[in-house]
Amino acid sequence: MLLSVTLTLLEGLGTTLQLFALTLLLALPLGLVIALGAMSRLTPLRWFVSMVVWVVRGTPLMIQILIIFYGPGLLFDLPLLPRFGAALLSFIINYACYFSEIYRGGIQSIPKGQYEAGEVLGMTRSQIFFKVTLIQVIKRIVPPMGNEFITLVKDTALVRVISVYEIIWMGESYIKKGMIWPLFYTAVFYLVVNGILTLLFRWAEKKLDYFR
Amino acid sequence: MRKLKKAVSLILTVAMTLSFAACGGSSSTVASSSAASASASASAAADSDMSYVQDKGTLVVGMTDFAPMDYRDENGEWIGFDADMAKAFAEYLGVEAEFLEINWDNKLMELDTKGVDVIWNGMTITDEVTNGASVSEPYCNNGQVVVVPADKAADYTDTESLSGLTFAVENGSAGAEQLDELGIPYVAKTTQADALMEVASGASDACVIDLLMAGAMIGEGTSYPDLTYTVQLNSEEYGVAFRKGSDLTDAFNTFWKEAYDEGTVMETATTYGVQESVIEK
Repeated sequence: MLLSVTLTLLEGLGTTLQLFALTLLLALPLGLVIALGAMSRLTPLRWFVSMVVWVVRGTPLMIQILIIFYGPGLLFDLPLLPRFGAALLSFIINYACYFSEIYRGGIQSIPKGQYEAGEVLGMTRSQIFFKVTLIQVIKRIVPPMGNEFITLVKDTALVRVISVYEIIWMGESYIKKGMIWPLFYTAVFYLVVNGILTLLFRWAEKKLDYFR
Repeated sequence: MRKLKKAVSLILTVAMTLSFAACGGSSSTVASSSAASASASASAAADSDMSYVQDKGTLVVGMTDFAPMDYRDENGEWIGFDADMAKAFAEYLGVEAEFLEINWDNKLMELDTKGVDVIWNGMTITDEVTNGASVSEPYCNNGQVVVVPADKAADYTDTESLSGLTFAVENGSAGAEQLDELGIPYVAKTTQADALMEVASGASDACVIDLLMAGAMIGEGTSYPDLTYTVQLNSEEYGVAFRKGSDLTDAFNTFWKEAYDEGTVMETATTYGVQESVIEK
């Protein structure tokens, strides 16, 4: 019984991890683009980006998932996105906005003197950004990113509102068969995944421990 | 110079805001016109909901794991009174039945947005579904019953005796409506099974679930041997829901009558032990 439940839950965990990995793959670069937009010298662009970040961070992710999946069909009678695709899209948008703020904090924490030094050496703005700033930014944003990664693993549970069968959905389905423990057992899987992430982040921090 | 910059950025900002407003305006007219065309196409689609289903070759059945109506056998195949009849109906239409487990709270949205083509899962005919969907003629009788631990059942035999109990019930279900009418407060859960779990764990004294489900899920020889049901609060009927204005509803009613006359309905019902509840046609 334990084995068959474990296998079923692992199937759900597969969906959970797919969502996790694909979200990171696409939200990490998109977050950087949003961060650069938020720091742009173009005031209207800056305002626009801040507005988007405000809306996305200021509304519940569950509502965003529901809007992205059901919205097109309800408002415009369009065919629906695939369930997993809609879930992924909402996560990418949501997490890119959170990541963008972390990037922005990291970028703005680099002393202005370094930009000035770069300019004196005749480097262009983009050269300064990619060759001097970015590598230090990465080091500084590792701890807050660790937080977001771990939250992301657990947030994936929300996608069951649009019937994406992730691990908690699988665990809950046992309640109807009179088995309550599989739902609580899912916590073990989250704990293991987040344990691995924690170790990876610790290793990354050590690897990046070279500037001071 | 500085002042000039400020003025320019101010002008730009105003221009942006205006263009946004303009966008908003135009997009809202687009939205309303497309909404109009959507409702036009919806009525067009409603005329041909059956051909829509037949063109794509699958009837997507929205359901939940709900024995004995819909549940999986050892091979993972969906079976049950509703599942088997849904397969027969799909065959009648000349398409394949595809079962999709949905979040029951979102059933009407799933139907509206064509996420599913039919909701067929021991669904009680309530105002909510008759307002939001096209519902078939009833095919099964059902009722809402109060579930309590077996050793306490003797104390609760009528509705008056229920007032001191704490209740759990599925949010928005027919059971919740009954408790609302009686003025009894309750904890709302996502599913009937969750409500049962509340009672099994002792978190609530009692819950209200479907008679059919109670028959299949509680009592001796089931997953919840220590629970039993006492008071029946009402009687109600099960129906099948299609999109508003869909021609599939009529097709279903015809199909059901034929299947009943042939004896298929009773035969299937007997397989799953719900023959007592089936409505005579």
